[in-house]
Amino acid sequence: MTSVRPKLKPETPKAITAWDTASGQTVWLSADGQWTSDMTRLGVFTGRAAEDRLNEARAQEHLVTDPYFMEVTAAGTIAGRETLRETIRAQGPTVPYGEVPR
Amino acid sequence: MYRYDEFDAAIVRERVDQFRGQVSRRLDGTLLEDEFKPLRLQNGVYLQLHAYMLRVAIPYGQLDPAKLRRLADIAERYDRGYGHFTTRQNIQFNWVGLKDIPDVLQSLSEVEMHAIQTSGNCIRNVTSDHFAGAAQDEVMDPRPWCEIIRQWSTFHPEFAFLPRKFKIAVTAAEDDRAAIRVHDIGLHIRRRDGQIGFEVHVGGGQGRTPVIATKLNDFVPETELLDYLEAIMRVYNRFGRRDNKYKARIKILVTETGADEFRRLVDTEYAAQTDAEKIALPQAEIDRIHAYFAPPDLTRKPARSQILETAQAANPAFQRWIRVNLHPHKQAGYASITISLKPIGGLAGDATTAQMRVVAKLAEEYGHDDIRVTHAQNLVLPHVALDDLPALYADLDGAGLATANEGLVTDMIVCPGLDYCNLANARSIPIGQDIQQTFADPDYQEDIGRLHINISGCINACGHHHVGHIGILGVDRKGEEFYQISLGGRADHHAAIGDIAGRALSREEVPDAIKRIIDTYRDLRTSAAEPFIETLNRLGHTPFKEAIYAAD
Repeated sequence: MTSVRPKLKPETPKAITAWDTASGQTVWLSADGQWTSDMTRLGVFTGRAAEDRLNEARAQEHLVTDPYFMEVTAAGTIAGRETLRETIRAQGPTVPYGEVPR
Repeated sequence: MYRYDEFDAAIVRERVDQFRGQVSRRLDGTLLEDEFKPLRLQNGVYLQLHAYMLRVAIPYGQLDPAKLRRLADIAERYDRGYGHFTTRQNIQFNWVGLKDIPDVLQSLSEVEMHAIQTSGNCIRNVTSDHFAGAAQDEVMDPRPWCEIIRQWSTFHPEFAFLPRKFKIAVTAAEDDRAAIRVHDIGLHIRRRDGQIGFEVHVGGGQGRTPVIATKLNDFVPETELLDYLEAIMRVYNRFGRRDNKYKARIKILVTETGADEFRRLVDTEYAAQTDAEKIALPQAEIDRIHAYFAPPDLTRKPARSQILETAQAANPAFQRWIRVNLHPHKQAGYASITISLKPIGGLAGDATTAQMRVVAKLAEEYGHDDIRVTHAQNLVLPHVALDDLPALYADLDGAGLATANEGLVTDMIVCPGLDYCNLANARSIPIGQDIQQTFADPDYQEDIGRLHINISGCINACGHHHVGHIGILGVDRKGEEFYQISLGGRADHHAAIGDIAGRALSREEVPDAIKRIIDTYRDLRTSAAEPFIETLNRLGHTPFKEAIYAAD
């Protein structure tokens, strides 16, 4: 496993995120069980249902790599102590890079 | 420069084909990530925060124009138009898709490049002095020995599954520019009674347990080097800890065993080698490899250049660049030039495709096709005629590559940090940029003089914060970024680990705290000729620690 992330309580709202195996891009599991690169479509899970979804995700290794829980609000926005990390995973580096004029 | 023979070409080609098959099986689900991970790591492929990262080997930091152009082509076609030069003289591409990596490796193999030995628990890419073959103060060119070690270590079956990664650096100059004392093995080439040999340092390293290497042997004759290295590796491979990843580096073994006992183990292993298993490097083979590194054909020139002096008189910015970024060459009339990849507000070590192509062209026009990557994340043209420096500068300036800050406060080593890295706790790049803005004035930088600030985004210390004169370590405090300052580290021949100054600071506090350290130095130095690190060592850390927390 690449990511060992902080444990979340069962009742904490959480999303499931991973890396798209072919491209490496960040993806999230939608409420209807699809992997999406559109963060606004991520599903919010709790309790046993969340564990079941994560186990299902782990069985899809040809599609995604290293799925894990990330903390979100009930509305699906990034929350908790890993907010900065997950924001960077979602939006990319916080500094202009490459050919972007400085 | 070393050129592949038929065996080199074949093993690289076969490795590309092998990895193509492994990637294919990963993508169709035949290989699971836990099975695939060690295979991808053997091919330089990491999974970072928001993409795969491919680390390409640049053996001992040497490139030629064809290689650099190919790296630019790869950045353009498969990545996002830039690459990141690293502290081990390699280059990283941050956005390449796994499905494309076999094609990237195929493309690299066409210019005699690969990603072997850039990750995994093997002997990694050997690093060296970026002025090798040009420096006035070297005993000899260390690159042939780096290449000999590379050939010995690549796919060495006994050392493919070491307890942990293993890094070797080689220098031949008294002024250690390869940071050999913070490597698993550091080799310093010495000449004694006309014979070449190696002073061997072992067990240095950074990370969560920083250690300065122990000198294991004063002089290993050149023909015995590989057998002696093999003895060290065997002792490490047998006794190095495999129960705990964080205790697995050779520095822990040397520390826990004790230097004398470790030396005894190596000597015993060395003495036990049979004639049949000894490599006993033949002189003919040493000579054959050395021939690849023959000095360029440099036309004899006078020590002073009228063209250079006239241009300097006419252009203060050029004059500054010459003053700061020029390193003396062993041949009169020539210089080595550092191309800074640390523009104010830029990303340390990053070069765009356009910049890579400019450097490749300039290396052809003015640099005898030789380009180096430095462990401080800059580039070097090691052989440039003084007469050509004005034209070279003009072209570099046009490409945003003429920053005059080599070795100064804004020439920081900065790891990718949380902006890219899956292990990081905090961002490094924005902190570096904030500090650069604080010291942007070039007169101020020059007045401060040589001062190395190194920044890491986590305890793994990829940004070498332990050996920065001022080190900055990013830490996570309940989801907030904080930065711990250390003082007094250095990576040179007086290598030392910095001392943590006190409580960690918020991002907003860091630039002013650094400025107070430096203002204290400027107040207390005996003269502008006394560098920061010497003032710090003369006075102790107390006044500088007090300066850090003066705002409390």
